Amino acid sequence: LALALSRPRGEDNIISEEEAAQYDRQIRLWGLDAQKRLRGSRVLLVGLRGLGAEVAKNLILAGVKGLTLLDHEQVTEESRRAQFLIPVDADGQNQAQASLERAQLLNPMVEVKVDTDAVESKPDDFFFQFDAVCLTRCSKDLMVRVDQLCASRNIKVFCGDVYGYHGYMFSDLGQEHHYVEEKPKVVKGSNEANDGPEAKKGKVDPNETTMVKKTISFCSLKEALEVDWTNEKAKSSLKRTPADYFLLQVLLKFRTDKGRDPQPDSFAEDSQLFLQIRDDVLETMGLSSELLPNTFVSYCFSEMAPVCAVVGGVLGQELVKALSQRDAPHRNFFFFDGLKGSGVVDYFGSK
Amino acid sequence: MAQLVGPLRKELADSLSSCRVLVVGAGGIGCELLKNLVLTGFKNIEVIDLDTIDVSNLNRQFLFQKKHVGKSKAQVAKESVLRFCPSANITAYHDSIMNPDYNVEFFRNFQLVMNALDNRAARNHVNRMCLAADIPLIESGTAGYLGQVTVIKKGQTECYECQPKPTQKTFPGCTIRNTPSEPIHCIVWAKYLFNQLFGEEDADQEVSPDTADPEVAWNPADAAARATASNKDGDIKRVSTKEWARSTGYDPVKLFNKVQLFKDDIMYLLTMDKLWKKRKAPLPLDWTEIHQLESSQEEAFGTGLKDQQVLGVQGYAQLFHRSVETLRSQLIEKGEGAELVWDKDDPPAMDFVTAAANLRMNVFSMNMKSRFDVKSMAGNIIPAIATTNAVIAGLIVLEALKTLNSDFDQCRTVNLQCCSFHVGVIGLVQILTLAVFAFDCLRNVFPVIGPSVQVSMKTTSVSNNNKFLSDFGIRNGSRLQADDFLQDYTLLVNLIHSEELEKDVEFEVVGDAPDKAPVSSVPEEGKNIANGNKDSAQPSTSSKAAAEDDDVLIVDSDEEPSSSTMETSLESSNRKRKHHDADTDDAASKRKRLDQQPADDDEDIIALD
Repeated sequence: LALALSRPRGEDNIISEEEAAQYDRQIRLWGLDAQKRLRGSRVLLVGLRGLGAEVAKNLILAGVKGLTLLDHEQVTEESRRAQFLIPVDADGQNQAQASLERAQLLNPMVEVKVDTDAVESKPDDFFFQFDAVCLTRCSKDLMVRVDQLCASRNIKVFCGDVYGYHGYMFSDLGQEHHYVEEKPKVVKGSNEANDGPEAKKGKVDPNETTMVKKTISFCSLKEALEVDWTNEKAKSSLKRTPADYFLLQVLLKFRTDKGRDPQPDSFAEDSQLFLQIRDDVLETMGLSSELLPNTFVSYCFSEMAPVCAVVGGVLGQELVKALSQRDAPHRNFFFFDGLKGSGVVDYFGSK
Repeated sequence: MAQLVGPLRKELADSLSSCRVLVVGAGGIGCELLKNLVLTGFKNIEVIDLDTIDVSNLNRQFLFQKKHVGKSKAQVAKESVLRFCPSANITAYHDSIMNPDYNVEFFRNFQLVMNALDNRAARNHVNRMCLAADIPLIESGTAGYLGQVTVIKKGQTECYECQPKPTQKTFPGCTIRNTPSEPIHCIVWAKYLFNQLFGEEDADQEVSPDTADPEVAWNPADAAARATASNKDGDIKRVSTKEWARSTGYDPVKLFNKVQLFKDDIMYLLTMDKLWKKRKAPLPLDWTEIHQLESSQEEAFGTGLKDQQVLGVQGYAQLFHRSVETLRSQLIEKGEGAELVWDKDDPPAMDFVTAAANLRMNVFSMNMKSRFDVKSMAGNIIPAIATTNAVIAGLIVLEALKTLNSDFDQCRTVNLQCCSFHVGVIGLVQILTLAVFAFDCLRNVFPVIGPSVQVSMKTTSVSNNNKFLSDFGIRNGSRLQADDFLQDYTLLVNLIHSEELEKDVEFEVVGDAPDKAPVSSVPEEGKNIANGNKDSAQPSTSSKAAAEDDDVLIVDSDEEPSSSTMETSLESSNRKRKHHDADTDDAASKRKRLDQQPADDDEDIIALD
C-alpha cells in the first residue's frame, strides 16, 4: 500500500534567510518540511467578521503562499467592532476590502487578495484553484455544495462560526487524508567490542525522532448534519452528544430562514424566533426540546471576541495541520462553549 | 428580557468599561490578550514589558511588524491596538514589573491582573504582589502546542507558589567535565568554556578534567586522596583557563590542542582508566592531523536551512578557529578587563559553542549536531506559534469575565488554603536583626520559644543575634519558611523591603494570620503578646519552655534578577510594632528565659536536605 504524500507545492524548494529568521520559532516546532508545504498552499477564506479575522491572522502568520479574503458584505459599526483588521473610518466599505491592508501587513511574504463577490455566485471552478477553503457565515446549502465539489478534488474543506458565546468548527479532509506524526525513536544497544553494557540500551532516545505515516478518512458535511437520531443506536449515544451540535442545527436553520444571524438590535423578536426554530428542528429530528434549554437564547447573539479567538485558533491550527500534512487532525467537529470554557472534539456521520 | 450590548448582557458590558486591568507582558500571549480585551469591551488597560521586538517574534506577536524591530514591545503594542480601537485607554510601561516602583499600592489600582510572562521569577513576584494587594490574578503560559490558564485569588484558590514547580535540569560536574554521554552535556561544556575564556569565570563552570570524580578512583580512599591533592595543587600549579588562554594570545590552535579541546586534556582523561572500563573511551583530536586528512565530503546544502547542515570535523575545527579569532577581537575592542556575555543571537558566540560542542561530541563518539539544533539546546529556545497563544488568550478573557463576576467556583482552579502568609514590610533588611525578626516579628503569628535558624545548612543561634537579616543574604522578595518542630505547620513568609516605614517602626505585618494555631501543650498565661493581629491571641509561652515549640527558619533563596533597587513601600493594615517598653515584662522576661536556655537548643533543629 503506497502512501503518497503529495509533494511540497512550493515553486522553489529553498527557504530564504528572511523566512528562516521570521519562521524560526515555528520551524522548530513543526519542522522545515511542514513549513514548505504551507508556503506552497493557497487558501480561500469566506467571511471576514470576528472569526474570519482570527483565521486570517493565524494563516497569514503561519506563512501560506496565498490567502483570498472573500466577503460581499459591507462594514457596519457592529462588524467593525467585532474585529481588529478594519480601520475605524471604513464604515460602508466592503468588509474584505477594508481588512486587506492590515491583513497584508501581518506578513508581507503572503499574497493576500480580496474578492467582493457573494460566495453563492461563484462557479464551481472558482474553488479549484485553492488547496483549502474555509467557510464562515455561510448558509448550510452553500457549505454542503462547496464541500461536495471540493472533497473529491482533494481540496480540504473547513466550516466554522461563532454565535455569541458558542462556536464550532467542522472539517472534511477527504476520503484519504495522508499525514505524518513525529514519534521518539527507540534506540537499541550496540554490540561493539569496546562498549560495555551501555546505560542507554533499549531506551527511548529523546534526541532522535522518526516520522510515522498515517491515513484517515472523513465524511461529508451533508452526512454529518443529517445523522438519523430516530434509531436506537443514535438514541443511546444522545447523552454523550454535546448540545452544541443541536444548537448549530438551529442556528443554521435561522440563517437559512432569515438570511442573517440573530442580532442584538432585534433581540426580543429574534429570541422568539430562535425558540420556535429550536422546537421545529428538534421535532423534525425526533428529539425533545429539552436538549436545548431556553437559557441558550441570550448567549447566541453577535460574536464574543474571546470565543472567536479560541475557535479561530483551533480552526487555524487545523488548517495548518491539513495543509502541512503533519499531526493528527481533529475529526470532524470541534465545539466550544464559552460559558463553560469547555471544548469538545466529536465525530458525526457515517463511521 | 435581558438587554444586550453586542454579545454581552448590559450589566456585564457596563462593568467592563469601568474596570481597570493590568497585563504583565506584551509578547506572544500579551499581544493576543490585549486584542481580546479591547474587542470584548475592556476600556482601561495598562501593559508592561521590559523587552524590545525581535524578528523571531513576528511569527506570532501580530501587533508588531518588521519595521518595529528594536522598539519597546509595550509601546508598540499600545499603538497598534489604538489603531483599531482608538477609544481604549491604554498605558504602556517599558519596564520590569519587578521594579519596586510597582508596589502594592500600584497593584491595588486594578480589579484584575493578567500575566503574560515567560519566566518564573517574574511570575513568583507578581503572585506575591497580588496576594499582598488582594487582587485576583490570572496566570497562564504556553509552549509549542500546549498552554494553560489558572485563576489565583487569595483566600479562594491556591496561589502560584502553593505547588512546587520543577526546577531547571542540571548535570553533575563530572558528567560535563569527564564523561559526557549526550550532546547536551557537550553543549553545556562549550558554554562553560566560553565563559572561562571570554566571559565571567565561574568556579561552578570548570571545563578541565575532574580528578575528584568519585568514579575515577579504583577505591574510595584513593578518591579522597585525589580530591585533597587536587585542591592543594590547584592553588599552586593550576592557572585559570582564562589566564592560560591570554598567555597564548588566544591562539586557536593551542586552545584546540590543549583545553580538553580536544587533545591534551582528553589524553589526561584517558589516564583515568576506570572511567572507560564500561564506556567508550574518548578519541583525542589533533589540529594538524585533522587538516592532513582528506577533506571529507561536506553534506550537500540540499533543501534544508543553512543552519541545519551538519558539518564534518574539519568544518567545525575551522568554525572554532574563526569564532575564537572574532571573539578575541571583540575582547580587545572592549578593552582592559573586559568580559563577554554569551548570547545565542550573537553569531560568533553561537558559532563558538556550536563548534566546541560538536568537536567534543566527536571526541566522545556522538553524532554531531547542526547549528540549528545546538542553538535550540544552548539557547533554551521554546518553539512557539500564533494559534496556541490565541486560544490561551481567549480563555484568559473568559476567565476574566467570570472573575469579575466573582464566580470563583466556576474558575478552573482548586480551592486550597494558600501557602503564604506575608510578613509585609521588613524595613531595611540591613538594619533589622535576626533576633528582632525572630522574636518580635514572628511572634505576631507564632509563639516562638527557642528558635534556631538554619541558613545555608549552617545552624545559627538566634538569641541575642544582632546580625542583620541582610548578612544572611536575605533581601527584598526573599521567602522564608518556618516550621514548627512537629512539622505540623509550615509558614511561608515573604519579606518585602521598605524604607518608608514610620519612625520607630521596624516592621509591619501584612495579611491574615493562619487559621491553625501551632500545637502548644502549655496553658495560656500572662499577657496577650499578639501585636494587633486580627486573630485571637496566641497562647503565650510558659515557664515550662516546652522544647516542642522550637522553630526552624530556613532561608530559601529565589532567583532574583540582578537589577533590583531595594525599595518597596507597602501600605498595610496598620500594625505597628510596639515599643519595647509598651511590650513590657512579657518580652523582657521571655528573653531572659531564653538566654538561660542551654546552647544545645540547636540539637532540636530539623535537618534539611
